[in-house]
Amino acid sequence: MADLALVAEPVKRFNPWPAVIFIALGVLALLFLAPTAGVLLSSIKTTRDIALGQLWTIPSQLFWGNYAEVLANPAVHRYFLNTLLVTAPATVASIALGSLAGYVFAKLPFRGSNLLFLVIVSGMFFPPQVILIPLFRLFNALDLIDTLYPIVIIHTAMGIPICTLLMRNFFATVPNALREAAILEGANEWQVLTRVALPLSLPALAVLATLQFTWIWNDFLWPLIFTQSDEKRTIMLGIVNLQGQYSVAWGVQGALSLIASLPTLVVFLFFQRYFIKGMTMGAVKG
Amino acid sequence: MAELSLHGVSKSFGSVLAVDGVDLGIAHGEFVVLVGPSGCGKSTLLRMISGLEGASAGRILIGGRDVTNVAPAKRGVAMVFQSYALFPHMTAAQNIGFGLRLARVPKAEIARRVAEVAETLQIEPLLGRYPRELSGGQRQRVAIGRSIIRDPQVFLFDEPLSNLDAALRVRMRLEIARLRDRLDATMVYVTHDQTEAMTLADRIVVLNHGRIEQVGPPEELYDTPANRFVAGFIGAPAMNFIDAAIEAGEGGEPQVRFGPVSLPTGRAHDVAPGPVTLGVRPEHLYIATENEADFRGRVEIVEKLGSESLAYLQTNFSAEPVTIKLAEHPALHPGDELPVRVARERFHLFEETGAVL
Ligand SMILES: Nc1ncnc2c1ncn2[C@@H]1O[C@H](COP(=O)(O)OP(=O)(O)OP(=O)(O)O)[C@@H](O)[C@H]1O
Ligand SMILES: [Mg+2]
Repeated sequence: MADLALVAEPVKRFNPWPAVIFIALGVLALLFLAPTAGVLLSSIKTTRDIALGQLWTIPSQLFWGNYAEVLANPAVHRYFLNTLLVTAPATVASIALGSLAGYVFAKLPFRGSNLLFLVIVSGMFFPPQVILIPLFRLFNALDLIDTLYPIVIIHTAMGIPICTLLMRNFFATVPNALREAAILEGANEWQVLTRVALPLSLPALAVLATLQFTWIWNDFLWPLIFTQSDEKRTIMLGIVNLQGQYSVAWGVQGALSLIASLPTLVVFLFFQRYFIKGMTMGAVKG
Repeated sequence: MAELSLHGVSKSFGSVLAVDGVDLGIAHGEFVVLVGPSGCGKSTLLRMISGLEGASAGRILIGGRDVTNVAPAKRGVAMVFQSYALFPHMTAAQNIGFGLRLARVPKAEIARRVAEVAETLQIEPLLGRYPRELSGGQRQRVAIGRSIIRDPQVFLFDEPLSNLDAALRVRMRLEIARLRDRLDATMVYVTHDQTEAMTLADRIVVLNHGRIEQVGPPEELYDTPANRFVAGFIGAPAMNFIDAAIEAGEGGEPQVRFGPVSLPTGRAHDVAPGPVTLGVRPEHLYIATENEADFRGRVEIVEKLGSESLAYLQTNFSAEPVTIKLAEHPALHPGDELPVRVARERFHLFEETGAVL
């Protein structure tokens, strides 16, 4: 009887929470988007418009001059090249080393390997500022200041914890029987890794590639410390450098900022199609 | 020739002795089935033969060659896993050809041999599919294909059919029987399934607690089990065990006595008086006339299985119900009293240690 009463007379009470949450999230989203919108707006305004203080207004006409100026600037080309020379090798190296370590931790455990794994992963929580001065001295002693090498090496090292963590956890989901089947077919551990474990871990690799690429590309701290000449600057320092050459550089800076974020966007769009689950489906009963 | 011999093979995991001093010789071309309760070490033994697991002690010889310390791929063995273990990112054809690709066999040759294997297993139309696009039986066929393509000397199967439904299991069992006849190879097969063991095996090995309880052809294990464990393990439904005693009867002939029943032991050799266990299979108990009956039982439950029926009888001499196998559709109801006779030649006597008398 009680059930019947409920069905016959549905009590619809206004629940305010979804609306509150929606509004809160909307406000937060706006707050986050505002700087990007500001940069976008200033990048298509003339210096004169900006100088008049019309930072948030929609410009009366689109002005592409900032982009043309930035793209024609040979220093900017240099910044891009330097950033790529840092980001690509450091991304590849950190993922490669993380995969190797992760494979061992997941499939070839040894005495004390779990403890070692924890030690490596705890590196993620290490504040880099603490080792800034020792590292500077180290690379100074090696005569590597004002080269790109220290940045590549540091980003590789700092990427290892997250790469190892993610790859170990992903490899752990690859059934052991697959490794054993491959070994019976004549594969060595390297072949198990490259032909079975890694192809099944494309989602993890894609996530890591995106994460590492973005993080390293956008880094400001390490290039600032280890490079001095404009020849060796990376793009994030370059954006700031442009300031020095023009009295008011909001326009070109905005344009360069947007151009500088394109590669990470491209990387994300390229890899996101691998962000799919269920690669191991069908390996074992299921 | 690929005879396989195990000499004192043991495996311990920490303090667990999973396989305990197994000695076993398997002839070339023989089909040997390993059975035993869960955790008795069947998989471990199989994995030691494959080389996936190292032996803690003992030696393993394949074709006369000591392979105890030889890498898995160099032993000339192939293994089919219960979980199929197909590579999900490779098509059926790539799965089957994986080992040959690793061995850098020319592409054309691989294609030719994959086609050959596919024809044998009748999976040609499936070669381009990924494992997730295959049914359980098809996956198992691809897994078998992957194992036969390299012409191994010894095939190892670890419960290959136990993930399949009953009907498919019967079909695949026939297929494996055919494969056995066609391939000139030695096979070691682990299963939980009585029927698989009885129908496929040249010889059955019964393992318990990492040790061999008995080795022999299926009929031999069924007819003359060496001990109570094997007697209870082989045969379905399981043998009835009844507490009994040996007594010296009139004329000096020893009698086995349980409840009101007294039977001649029928053993050629002397049997010392004392407590024993009488074992008799459900199919060796008959409904008899009142005169011939050894005992009476009250029907508790009747299970009709179609081709046969099982009746569980309460008796005054056994706490456990006594199972009896009957013809197709007996007109029996719970509560009926049945006169039952024990087949004279077909009962077994076990000492308290479990050894057969
Ligand atoms: N890697 C391992 N580490 C520790 N103990 C193990 C390991 N592998 C197996 N064992 C133990 O060894 C014993 C035998 O295991 P095994 O897998 O060989 O049994 P099984 O006969 O195949 O059982 P099932 O019929 O359930 O498959 C078990 O007690 C098991 O717990
Ligand atoms: Mg097992």
